[in-house]
Amino acid sequence: MPIKGGGFERKSKASSKVPNSSMADIAFLLLIFFMVTTVFQKDRNQPIVWPEAEATQKIDEKLKNILNIWVVRDGNIFINDRTYTMGEVSQVIAPLYAASERALVISIRADREVRYTTIDLLQEQLVAAGVVRVVFATELEQRMTRERR
Amino acid sequence: MAVLDKKKSKVSDEVPSASMADIAFLLLIFFLVTTTFPKDKGLAIVLPEQGGEVQVSQRNILHIIIQPNGIVEIKRGESPQVQTTPPSGVEAIWRQDVSENPNLIAAVKTHPDAPYKFMVDVLDALHIAGAERISLQLFEG
Repeated sequence: MPIKGGGFERKSKASSKVPNSSMADIAFLLLIFFMVTTVFQKDRNQPIVWPEAEATQKIDEKLKNILNIWVVRDGNIFINDRTYTMGEVSQVIAPLYAASERALVISIRADREVRYTTIDLLQEQLVAAGVVRVVFATELEQRMTRERR
Repeated sequence: MAVLDKKKSKVSDEVPSASMADIAFLLLIFFLVTTTFPKDKGLAIVLPEQGGEVQVSQRNILHIIIQPNGIVEIKRGESPQVQTTPPSGVEAIWRQDVSENPNLIAAVKTHPDAPYKFMVDVLDALHIAGAERISLQLFEG
């Protein structure tokens, strides 16, 4: 007796549907994976204590047009996570400034105890690079804290 | 009656978990949308162009000299008189002097060894007082 359909019509026991109840779990796993593996810009070893100013203003400029120059307490200069000597600053800044079509704003993020001569030399380097717009990064100072000092 | 007590409620006693993921995603998207990153802030200045030195009459210059200990010395033009003040006192001095001479320029001269914060304090005071012509220099001598 021949088998019906040559035995080909036997149904598989495995479901043909993709299980979608665990889709959300997979999405969360991915989310947590990327959260854990994301590394933000490294912090300086020496934390910077901002100088305070009452006249602190927000800088009305796109984030990509702001270049931060970090000056830590001992006078070392960091640009884009690399340390540079004072003489190199203008050579580093000049091409970046030209690439931004002179729209770049330099934010000097210096520790409050840095010797002023460092800042003055830095300004000379910026002038040599042709930079015009500079911001001294400060923390907003409330009048209350000023009176307490 | 004992029978009535045993009647089962038709309402399920389980919290529905099918829409939990949707709620979580809604929260996630809500916080994604409402997060704002802190904007950069500080005191803005405009640096001079290279070689753009201008001769200014001594009468129009207010010399503000910052010493390493934070004491600010004020000299007006060529007069040898020196007035000392804390950095916060610069605001009142500028306001008074600029009302007498609208062409006044603030020449902030900082001692090389002075901490940066004193220069920021003076710059802050000048910003509050509405000064626009500010020159930042190194104090020599």
